Amino acid sequence: MNLIEFSDIRKAYTIGSVTIDALAGVSFDIGEHEFVAIMGPSGSGKSTLMHILGCLDTPTSGTYRLEDHNVSELRSNDLAHIRNRDIGFVFQAYNLLPHLSALENVLLPCTYSTHVMSGRDERARGHELMERVGLKDRMYNRPVEMSGGEQQRVAIARALMMDPPVILADEPTGNLNSKGAREILDIMKDLHADGKTIVYVTHDDTIGAQAERVIRIQDGRVVADERN
Amino acid sequence: MDLRDSFRNATRAIWAAKMRSFLTMLGIIIGIAAVVMLMAVGNGTKQSILSRMQSSGSGNLYLTAGARSNVLMGGNPEGGAGGFAASRAGVSSGAEITTQDLTYIEARVTYSVVVSPTNQTNITIKNGNTTMSGTGIFATPTYFQVENVTIADGRMISDGDVSNRTRNVVIGNTVQTTLFPNESAVGQLIRINGASYKVVGVAASKGETVGSSVDTAIVLPFSVGEKSFGIAHNRVQRTTIECVDPTQTKVVIAEITDILTLKHKKVDFTIQDVAAMTALVTSAMTILTALLAAIGGLSLLVGGIGIMNIMLVSVTERTREIGIRKALGARERDILVQFLIESSLLSVSGGVLGIVVSVLGSDFVVSRFTTTVITGSSILLAVGFSIAVGVFFGVYPARTAARLKPVEALRYE
Ligand SMILES: Nc1ncnc2c1ncn2[C@@H]1O[C@H](COP(=O)(O)OP(=O)(O)O)[C@@H](O)[C@H]1O
Ligand SMILES: [Mg+2]
Repeated sequence: MNLIEFSDIRKAYTIGSVTIDALAGVSFDIGEHEFVAIMGPSGSGKSTLMHILGCLDTPTSGTYRLEDHNVSELRSNDLAHIRNRDIGFVFQAYNLLPHLSALENVLLPCTYSTHVMSGRDERARGHELMERVGLKDRMYNRPVEMSGGEQQRVAIARALMMDPPVILADEPTGNLNSKGAREILDIMKDLHADGKTIVYVTHDDTIGAQAERVIRIQDGRVVADERN
Repeated sequence: MDLRDSFRNATRAIWAAKMRSFLTMLGIIIGIAAVVMLMAVGNGTKQSILSRMQSSGSGNLYLTAGARSNVLMGGNPEGGAGGFAASRAGVSSGAEITTQDLTYIEARVTYSVVVSPTNQTNITIKNGNTTMSGTGIFATPTYFQVENVTIADGRMISDGDVSNRTRNVVIGNTVQTTLFPNESAVGQLIRINGASYKVVGVAASKGETVGSSVDTAIVLPFSVGEKSFGIAHNRVQRTTIECVDPTQTKVVIAEITDILTLKHKKVDFTIQDVAAMTALVTSAMTILTALLAAIGGLSLLVGGIGIMNIMLVSVTERTREIGIRKALGARERDILVQFLIESSLLSVSGGVLGIVVSVLGSDFVVSRFTTTVITGSSILLAVGFSIAVGVFFGVYPARTAARLKPVEALRYE
């Protein structure tokens, strides 16, 4: 069964009199439990695609179905609900809140959940996730006190907080050294083994080679869609 | 997002920018303190005027020369010197009340009344090297009855003092403590405007603070006024008429008006009862208090604009945070509430501090100059106002924040 259906998704940016087609008609399906790598040169439209997948942005045209929702037709509150429950987004720039501790960052999605967990259950899950990403003893540190790799692992723990079926990662290792990148990739493979659907943007062919499927993008179009 | 989280977030954000938050609050602190303190002055003035009126008896009527409607100018029951100056200036030479008028009224009025004629002038009082200024009240023994002035020590002015023009006086409590700090004044001689008088009694304090009071006054026999203080023969500046049955004041006013109009052939005098004056004072002072509150409200408005300004800055600075929160599932409403709570918290804390400042300020500073009364309703008004200011001036910045598109907010550097 398809978890994600993208059909003829377009995104155009107009700056003054110039229109840029960041996505010029993208169609693909992603099934449950797939590990998909999205690859392509800089400026090819990968981030635009991920933002639409993550319900952070809306396409200019085309239909996007996620599970049983027709995302293209949803209103702002429902999109917020999907971002909270169905998708865990991992950014290249980590995007942690600097004034909160690592644990507080991980717990942040609970604040916006309609499904109410007790404070104790939330904290227990937060501890468990911090342990899972190997940062059990860094829970009360602030982001500035952590390395890039550690911050990205906190961001992954945060993405997992509401136990979403889909994890979207937009160049999560783009700012990391090879050791940090390997740790992130190991966690991602681990999550995939646990049954998560993973869409992973990368420049790195060795990472791409470890994915089940690679979708290649160029100039806002899918130029290749291969299964390894 | 539950409210407890929102409050914690808001306090955190406010605390993170302590100096800026405090400066923003300062606008509200000043605004609220101004509103509460100015209202306290208005209410205090009203209360002290009213209590002074009511302390002299609800059955009292006040008869003064000149047909005037403005009670505040001439109808003040104990008649400050200013009031009399104004009445003298505003009344034509023919319009005056004389002791003959009063005898005429007493002979004809059918209800039981007590008539107390008084004249008043500013005097200088001296004992040895101690000098003070005060009010000289020229009165008959009925004065003590109608104005509810009791004698703490000695006796009051007697009919004999009045008919013999004896230089016997009753002094107010403040005069006693100022001129004779260590002994009773009764039996002592004092000098008033240079001449020698004998103190026969000391009036009990009435503890009033606004305008003239019996505490700083000396009561002299009525007849001494024309003999030694240049007051025109038989002239009465002001007469208090006590109705023995206080429920009949309206009828007595009508009757005395008829009697005196018959004698004067025109209405060149004013008679008012306490109720009428109370109503007038109350409405005048309520308007004054509202006006004062409105003036304070202006600075509150400025404080509110300060909050709006700082919230707009805060929204801009935290655009990325808003994007992150939205990416994690925050709805527009969550962001709106977050910023509204923050702005309200700023203005309510400012309001509470403002109330503290105004309570301290009016207790320790303003009350030295005038009576202040901080009412529960002015506190409620202040709290209500500061919540309203926080919400009103917070809505625009909060809506701006709530409506940011997640991807655009995240892109913000
Ligand atoms: N907000 C924007 N306004 C205008 N053009 C944009 C905007 N975001 C992206 N683009 C353009 O869209 C194209 C795709 O960008 P992006 O999706 O970020 O590419 P990638 O992530 O593959 O590097 C680029 O040409 C970029 O300049
Ligand atoms: Mg990108």
